[in-house]
Amino acid sequence: MKVERIIKLELGKLNAQVPEKRLTLKAALVSNKPAVFTKGGGVHSFKKGELELLSKMLPEEDWEKLQLPIFISFEPSLGRGTAKIRGKIETAVVAQIIGKNKDDEMTVYRPEVAAIRRKLPTTTQYLFVG
Amino acid sequence: MGLKTAAVGDLDTVIGLSLAGVTHTHIHRAKEETLKKLGDFFTSNDVGLVLITHRVAEDLGNELRQMTRNKKLLPIVLKIPDKTGYAPAADELRDVIRRTVGAEIVVKREGE
Amino acid sequence: MATAMNVSPNRMELIKLKQRVTLAQKGHDLLKDKMDALVMELFDSLRKIQDSRIAAIGQLKKGYVALSECIAVMGTLETMQAARETRKEIQIDVSARNIMGIQVPSIDIGEVERNALSRGYGLYTTSSSLDVAAKEFEKALKLLVDLAELEATALAIAKELERTKRRVNALEYILIPRLNEALKFILMRLDEMERENFTRLKRIKAILEERE
Repeated sequence: MKVERIIKLELGKLNAQVPEKRLTLKAALVSNKPAVFTKGGGVHSFKKGELELLSKMLPEEDWEKLQLPIFISFEPSLGRGTAKIRGKIETAVVAQIIGKNKDDEMTVYRPEVAAIRRKLPTTTQYLFVG
Repeated sequence: MGLKTAAVGDLDTVIGLSLAGVTHTHIHRAKEETLKKLGDFFTSNDVGLVLITHRVAEDLGNELRQMTRNKKLLPIVLKIPDKTGYAPAADELRDVIRRTVGAEIVVKREGE
Repeated sequence: MATAMNVSPNRMELIKLKQRVTLAQKGHDLLKDKMDALVMELFDSLRKIQDSRIAAIGQLKKGYVALSECIAVMGTLETMQAARETRKEIQIDVSARNIMGIQVPSIDIGEVERNALSRGYGLYTTSSSLDVAAKEFEKALKLLVDLAELEATALAIAKELERTKRRVNALEYILIPRLNEALKFILMRLDEMERENFTRLKRIKAILEERE
């Protein structure tokens, strides 16, 4: 059915913003034009201001451990409006922004997602996991 | 990529923005002439931003609306007030959003 | 409606159909999440635009006021001349960033503010009110660039939101109901056929029993 074909296309595009390969904070900080290539065939650039903010949040030895962008992961099993942040360093950053306890994996709700996106619009990205 | 900026408006707007370093400027006198200049800005590959005053934009009416709808991603067009501070009552951005989202979005600032 | 889907009532079709329903349901939920996220991004964008507009317009006003003073002191022709002499190579770097599949512009303008010596006009032939006006406009330009980026972003998000809304509605009001109808139809027919079979077997059994 035509509608189903359209839907399949939309779902295929859901994660077009996801990069082929992520960039570490360390590499991004020294680059002139810090950016990644996206799976959808485009480019996604990071704002230098955000990179600086991130560098202030983490000790220097962690800069090469942080992969950018940080994924805010929506999974159907979580229910509407709930997302997950994964990764020790990633959750450390997010914990500082929303003031929660950090863990290896964090569950965040809509207003918290809003707060994270407001602070880090180019260094975080949505990920839709089907 | 390094792109230039452009400004279209009255004398004061053009002088002021020239002093700030805007490369291409055009003082609006006749509609046809200004539309042509804008056309040049839109098709050139080295202009990234066009600042145009609300008054001039209104003067150019539908032709400008058409041009903006059909242009490529760049240059970005931003309407600015001139020295009289004139801005139309209709907020074009709000209208477009209302049309596409189908609802009125009113954002209240903290403490209002 | 079920006939519109052209499914024959058998077990194979039943299984396929159930899969399609699950897929459509999952697609619906994912797209709804995307819609929610887009709405949030749009709201955030609009809030930032409100603040940005106030700042940019306020600063632009300051520029106009300073320029009026400058013209009063130096005269229009002299001011125009100074503007002509100013170096006008402000460059903006426009790159793309990606929000949920949409490309939005990311503009970097770098250092806009210059000091009187480096603007290009002669200092002996101009007054300090010119320097003030130039500085105010330089500040305004930076804010206007920020605003331009925000407005272009909001527009792109609004467009994508509308498209996504349409897809979600197509799923919710057209596709999923149709699939469920077809499912109901098949289940009903399979049920009927099983009952027919059952009665047939009963009759055969009765006939066989009579013979004995």
